Amino acid sequence: MDGIRVGNRVIGTQGPVTVGWENIPKVQGGPVKQFIFTWFQPAALFGLLAFYYYAPNSIAKASTAIGIGIGFKVLLLGLEWVNPRYASWRLTWKELVTDLFYVGLGYTILRIVDDHVGSDVAIKAIQHHFDMDKFKWFLGLPLLLQAFLISFIFDFGQYWMHRGMHNWYPLWLPHSVHHYITQLNINKGAVGNPVELFLIGLGIGGFFDFLPRAALLAGALGMTISIYQHINVRFNSPRWWRFLFNTTEHHSLHHSQDYEATRSNYSNSYIFIDRMFGTCIDGEAELLGLENGRRMSIREQMTYPFTEGWKTLRERFGRQTAVPAE
Amino acid sequence: MNLRFIDWIWHVRGSVPLAPGQSSNDVFRKIDPLFRERGTRHETSNDTLTFTKKDQAAQDKMSVFDSGILWVENRIAGSVMRYHLVSRALLFCFLAPLLFIGFAQLTIALYKPDKPAAEATAAKAKKTLAKDMAMPLNPIDKFLGAPEPDKPKDGKDKPAAGRNRKPSPTAAYVFASLFAILYVVGRILEDVLVKRLFMRTLAGAPVVTASDLHRPYQGTV
Repeated sequence: MDGIRVGNRVIGTQGPVTVGWENIPKVQGGPVKQFIFTWFQPAALFGLLAFYYYAPNSIAKASTAIGIGIGFKVLLLGLEWVNPRYASWRLTWKELVTDLFYVGLGYTILRIVDDHVGSDVAIKAIQHHFDMDKFKWFLGLPLLLQAFLISFIFDFGQYWMHRGMHNWYPLWLPHSVHHYITQLNINKGAVGNPVELFLIGLGIGGFFDFLPRAALLAGALGMTISIYQHINVRFNSPRWWRFLFNTTEHHSLHHSQDYEATRSNYSNSYIFIDRMFGTCIDGEAELLGLENGRRMSIREQMTYPFTEGWKTLRERFGRQTAVPAE
Repeated sequence: MNLRFIDWIWHVRGSVPLAPGQSSNDVFRKIDPLFRERGTRHETSNDTLTFTKKDQAAQDKMSVFDSGILWVENRIAGSVMRYHLVSRALLFCFLAPLLFIGFAQLTIALYKPDKPAAEATAAKAKKTLAKDMAMPLNPIDKFLGAPEPDKPKDGKDKPAAGRNRKPSPTAAYVFASLFAILYVVGRILEDVLVKRLFMRTLAGAPVVTASDLHRPYQGTV
């Protein structure tokens, strides 16, 4: 494959990719279907923002957000069934069980680990020792601006954490497991080695618990934007949407079998962060994964960073075998 | 203990009736494309086909199975193809509820309610933050009609929001139940699907392999 030049890089020499919005297929079907799959994303974003903005305090709380989050994911699973992007990404029973296993880890054991050694501990320490009066100016900002700043700061941190994972071998090892997924479905974002899930879970969410409504709005931004990274649904996302936000198209390119394409589109929600730092590529891919799309078992996903790291250490620092002289 | 009493959990057995006059060679030739998937090895000998799979593709029609044996039995009533398939995924799903019940027990053990020191610290933190919550709404939000935040009481009875809440065992119990349901669904569904796959393939339906599903390449690269 010759590849295509995008800026200083040549994309698609190792795996098939599609570059440029004009080459990406559109939603097929009648006008109603076209309408739904063009406006679903903006409608969900603005609808949920309006809900959290105006809901009474008794409703605008974390438990409501959890319920809405689960309901929204079930709805998106339904959309995957109705309008899949690729037949080769269809959700099977085995894929669903695998994905939900990792979602379950995130809600249970990783939550406990995070509570003991993760960002929650650091945040609690800061909250106890920091003079919160210094943040009063932030509390005086309009709610939507507070929410955007919370989600932007989080996404900016995630961008660099993710970019670091693709550029520094010790971080790549745990992240590489996530890149062995061979299709995108709504829960695939949770699939990865627990070490990586812990690292990527490091965030500032807990820091803004004292701003319940702004935190909920920031959560709504994340839920209705970044959730589409891993989804098997064909949308005709509006032009402004794909300029500002990360989409399945962007993220499928990030997961493609082409090495150079994987080194792009690092952000979670705001693809304009990638545009700012020159790492954005507009396009998509169907063939995903590493090692030509080898699907990794859960057992290997658990051990791979350690076995692979050990192998590398032995290669680098192990005793050299003497080669007999001829 | 005889494993046969419990191995139905992850072993799927069944049979498919064959059209009269079909030899085992004919049968295995027809279903051969099913075993031309990535990561699959198979061999035929003495009227028996054995296969193993490793890192099978997600869209492999038999991806849920890791090994198995198929053979043809000739009986007076007619010939049948019998199969005995083994699935680690089914076993995993069967055991997953136990793992999540374990996580629930761990959560209960780690977050016992008798931790006065932790509660005092949390109450202190909330008190500090409650002061900040008394900030009035921005005029723009007032104009747009956003509800005023609740007036803080004394910081004691205010529930903590978001991630600062204590982990609860509920999530682990929910996932344990979910995997129990998924196991029942999977055990029935995969049994039915594989039987239908064999029947259709033997009837001459074309086999769609995982790689056949990929869209013919039309892109720019």
